[in-house]
Amino acid sequence: MTRLIDPSLQKLSLTMAEMGDMVIECVSLAIASYLEGTDTRTRVHDLSDKITTKYFEVEDLTFDMILRYQPVADDFRLIRSSTEISYAFSRFGRYAYDITQVRTFFGDISECRNDWLYEVTAKVKHMIQDAAQSFAELDIRKAITIQENEEFVDRLYLERIPQLIETNNTKCALAEALLLRYLERIADHAVFMSDAINYIVTGKHKPTKEQIISHRSPSV
Amino acid sequence: MVNQKRAEYRMLFKQNVERRLLVDKIVRSVVVACVIIAIIPLGSILLEVFRNGAAAISIEFLTQLPGAAGATGAEELGGVGHAIQGTLILIGLASLIGVPIGVLSGIFLSEFGDMKLANYVRFYTDVFTEFPSIVIGIFAFLVIVLVLGHFSPLAGAFALSLIMFPVVARTTEESLKLVPLTYREAGLSLGLTKFTITTRIIISAAKSGMITGILLAVSRIGGETAPLIMTILGSSQFFHSFDEPMDALPLRIWRFSLLPYESSVLQGWGSALVLIFVILAINLAVRYYVFGKRINIFGLFAKQRTGKKI
Amino acid sequence: MPLTTKPAETFNAAAVKPQPVDERYKMIAENVSVLYGDIAGIKNVSMKFKDRSVTALIGPSGCGKTTFLRCLNRMHDMTKNVRVEGKVMIDGIDLYSKDIDPIYHRRKVGMVFQKPNPFPTMSIYDNVSSGLRLNGIRDKNVLQEIVEDSLKMAYLWDEVKDDLKRSAMELSGGQQQRLCIARALAIQPEVLLMDEPASALDPIATQKIEETITELKKEYTVIIVTHNMQQAVRVSDYTGFMYLGDLIEFGETKKIFTDPGNELTAKYVQGQFG
Repeated sequence: MTRLIDPSLQKLSLTMAEMGDMVIECVSLAIASYLEGTDTRTRVHDLSDKITTKYFEVEDLTFDMILRYQPVADDFRLIRSSTEISYAFSRFGRYAYDITQVRTFFGDISECRNDWLYEVTAKVKHMIQDAAQSFAELDIRKAITIQENEEFVDRLYLERIPQLIETNNTKCALAEALLLRYLERIADHAVFMSDAINYIVTGKHKPTKEQIISHRSPSV
Repeated sequence: MVNQKRAEYRMLFKQNVERRLLVDKIVRSVVVACVIIAIIPLGSILLEVFRNGAAAISIEFLTQLPGAAGATGAEELGGVGHAIQGTLILIGLASLIGVPIGVLSGIFLSEFGDMKLANYVRFYTDVFTEFPSIVIGIFAFLVIVLVLGHFSPLAGAFALSLIMFPVVARTTEESLKLVPLTYREAGLSLGLTKFTITTRIIISAAKSGMITGILLAVSRIGGETAPLIMTILGSSQFFHSFDEPMDALPLRIWRFSLLPYESSVLQGWGSALVLIFVILAINLAVRYYVFGKRINIFGLFAKQRTGKKI
Repeated sequence: MPLTTKPAETFNAAAVKPQPVDERYKMIAENVSVLYGDIAGIKNVSMKFKDRSVTALIGPSGCGKTTFLRCLNRMHDMTKNVRVEGKVMIDGIDLYSKDIDPIYHRRKVGMVFQKPNPFPTMSIYDNVSSGLRLNGIRDKNVLQEIVEDSLKMAYLWDEVKDDLKRSAMELSGGQQQRLCIARALAIQPEVLLMDEPASALDPIATQKIEETITELKKEYTVIIVTHNMQQAVRVSDYTGFMYLGDLIEFGETKKIFTDPGNELTAKYVQGQFG
């Protein structure tokens, strides 16, 4: 039986899926512009704008649904979290654009790359993919990996910044500082996203590791 | 494609409607015609009674005892004062017995109507509603007149109350049943006993239906003749005591109709007219008293028709 | 060897004090079943109603919520072939025990019905005071006081105070329903049962009834049956969901409508059936 709210819910999930795809592409391109030196600025800028537009669409849609249908229970939690998650997506797009700006300011800085930058950017890309997939499937078990990855990013950020102050290569130091800053913010938002997804599935706001592990997969 | 189908379907209705309007008009005329045909005899009865009886009405007629039959002068002819008195006494006595018992039975049937006893009572009241009144008269004769040894107004009142009782019981029951269950529930939720709910709330809501039923019964017994023949016999005196025969209007009308004199026939018509007016007066007086001075005369008639509050 | 006792500042005094007993429940229904011959209308339903709260009963048509509500003031006494089992306790006293006069305890539990039913032959004043007058209270001053107080609590006083002798049937539907609320309040009950009180009313009247309920809960325990879930969300503190004669879930309204524990509840409140 199709309820009145169902078409709107479908439109919401479609929009979010599109945002997820765009975000993954966007962030990958941004990181490549730093590490490989490719000029991806226009494309990333374009995607980032599109993502922001979709964010406003999602806001409109969710409030419209609340006004018309007064959703409760699962619907309500889904809609409430969607605002948080779409905001996180828009932030990813924005930070991706900021990362390409680094290349714009500094020129080709691919010589500044190093092993741990590869590692941390790979982890961040993973986090975003996990978060988007976790939302699409409403599977909260990925939250553990996301949590662990965020802790890694934080640790690296806290270790590297003092080190950068001591180096002689100002250009690389500044570039890396900016990059790490943006990555740290992306990681934070990914965790917010996974908390919001957890709220949809369990109804609780901040889960513990045990709760995540013991929760059944919602696949039917 | 779909629109074409719809247009086809709509064409169906268009053809149908005109014929149906015609049938409607015809049937309506037939119904009205039937009503008129039914009213004509009733109307003409009233007209006849009024036409023939009006001439007999005078103060002497209404207040005097009958004089010699066949006489010509007004004083000698006398009147039917005693019969009017008799009818009023009979209606009063019969109501005194019949109304309380009838109303209480009606309350029993309505409020406790699921019991087996109630079903028996209902069956018997239905049977007795249109019972041959002459048989009731004979019964009263056997039970009271023979036992007492003489004709008596009590016997007449008894017979009439027996006729009255089923009508009052059934109409009371139906009126009470018309009061929606929700008022009883409301009373119950206020912590009232069933007795209080029935007497203080339900009866006043069913009042107009009950009054209609009672007045119906009164009008009925006001005109009954057969039971009176064997119970009060008839007389030419005003009411003296319960041990003597008494006269009443229906009885008098019948006696007048058997006499060959023209004056008697005229007085018969006059008595009929008086009887009709007496019943009408009782109806209006009771309604006015019960329902108050707010309503004008047409309102009272409306109540009679539908039994509903305006 | 480290000390095994905790240092003084972390000692939790509250943990030592004895926990208070379950908060005061005004009315408790235990294993209530209603049987029509062999068929069970409701089966073993138990609920506890906190003092000065509003509890909503929701569920699809025919689930038994009205049947259950009517058990709480013994309305089923009026119906033939109905058997009620279980206990309904107000302040610890079982309404269905043999030594209780049901009429006395029915005055503790007032009821408002789905379709407004003010007594048709009585004025506004007489209607509100009917529960008192017909129970033997005659003092005119007391009656006047109580009538005014009840009408004020039902938010009807301002609209009718100019002419209390008017017939009750001259009021609009919403006013009649508030009149019925005032009438129920006049007998000074402690619990108020409401069977879909706003379902026969227009939206503005419904709003007024809901405002009245929100005020009433400061003094009374209100239990309301409603088929309108938004109304339950707006008005109630606790909600019970019934289905096919069983109580499926009972809890705080906020939780039932944001994170219900039972899947059937989630399906019902989201409109997936019923």
